[in-house]
Amino acid sequence: MAGGQERVLRRRIRSVNSTRKITKAMELIAAAQIPRALARIAANRPYRDAVRGIVGEAIEADRFSARRLVELPEQVETASVLVISGDRGLSGPYNNQNLRAGERLVADLRARGTRVRLAVAGKKAAPYYRFRGIDVERSFAGFVERPSYADAQTIARYLAAPFMEGEVDQVLLVSTRYHSAGRQAVEVRQLLPFVAEEAPAEAPAEGLSGYTEFEPEVAKLLVDLAPRAIESEVFSALLEGAAAFLTGQQRAMAAATENADELARTLTRKMNQARQDAITTEIMEIVGGAEALRSGK
Amino acid sequence: MATLRVEVLAPEAVLWRGTAHALVARSSEGDFTVMAGYAPTVGDVVSTVVRLEGTEEGEVRFAVHAGYFRVGPGEAEGETRATLLASVAERVDEIDVARAQSALERAQAALAAASSGDDPTAYVEATEAVARAELRLRAAAR
Repeated sequence: MAGGQERVLRRRIRSVNSTRKITKAMELIAAAQIPRALARIAANRPYRDAVRGIVGEAIEADRFSARRLVELPEQVETASVLVISGDRGLSGPYNNQNLRAGERLVADLRARGTRVRLAVAGKKAAPYYRFRGIDVERSFAGFVERPSYADAQTIARYLAAPFMEGEVDQVLLVSTRYHSAGRQAVEVRQLLPFVAEEAPAEAPAEGLSGYTEFEPEVAKLLVDLAPRAIESEVFSALLEGAAAFLTGQQRAMAAATENADELARTLTRKMNQARQDAITTEIMEIVGGAEALRSGK
Repeated sequence: MATLRVEVLAPEAVLWRGTAHALVARSSEGDFTVMAGYAPTVGDVVSTVVRLEGTEEGEVRFAVHAGYFRVGPGEAEGETRATLLASVAERVDEIDVARAQSALERAQAALAAASSGDDPTAYVEATEAVARAELRLRAAAR
């Protein structure tokens, strides 16, 4: 009987070790992909900042003619919300943080009497909301870890068109900002109407915007620019989300690998003990048997 | 000395950065040339070939598929800064003609399929793809 326990433990150790191999591999793969994800963020930054700069300058110059693009109506009838999360799990809290923030946002909007049109990016999102009885109007998936600009364009077209046609009053984005390897935070941003942001550091000094010329005039330019600005914002958010996802995955898998190590160690100790027990019992039986034979003589 | 610093930016990369004598492009209002000292301007760029003249490499040309430009004073005294933004842009001397040709054929096939279907998005995308491929070929042919 004692040998049976040893065998059971040996089998468990083997299974823990093979799990460990998988988690270790996932950790290494995620770690290897992080630099590329970060490089893409860095390469995108000048473009993103320049788009923001142009939008900012145009708004500064003429708030009135493009009012609908820069001012939120008092009562928001309908809002579009895009939640970016991951295609896969095993990435620590990354998916849930985004999804939960999105859920809270939807609840808030509804409490204020706003109709919500929810769109999601990432395979994990649609089932999450469906399970909670929140309708998902559109789900984009399959590219979240390596987004291309065309993916962002598809999403942006879906978000911007109803706003431009006046069906939607507000467009909101829920995603994770990648601040650094140690800090990523979920953020809710308003994409439309445009929010006048603090100008990027490289923008020309104040006072010069007074005589900037616009070709064509601001109102027309902004109408044209809005969908492209959304593309740019969605693309940046997708890139940062991908980096945050990979970082989350690496961290989660590193923890899982460590746990597997710990478990294997404990199990090995138990197994050795069981084997020792078995040997001791066996010796006791032999000695006992020999003793019985002798006294029986 | 008056200099013109130019940046050509795409979503995934800084395509070009340096000084040039002039930037020649076309906006929805017509052709324009930006030189050092140009007035601060923000505007659009239609699908066209953008030329940078008098750079260190000589003339550099880009096939730009609609974008925006911004001209303003640079950091240094007397410097003018021009930024060109395009969601799709490529250097003309890097265009692969054979690839552009096959892309055009594919785009035309997609357009034909889309015009008989009833998906407006597919139709718009196909139209844009055809325009991109044609511009590429036109730019490379010159």
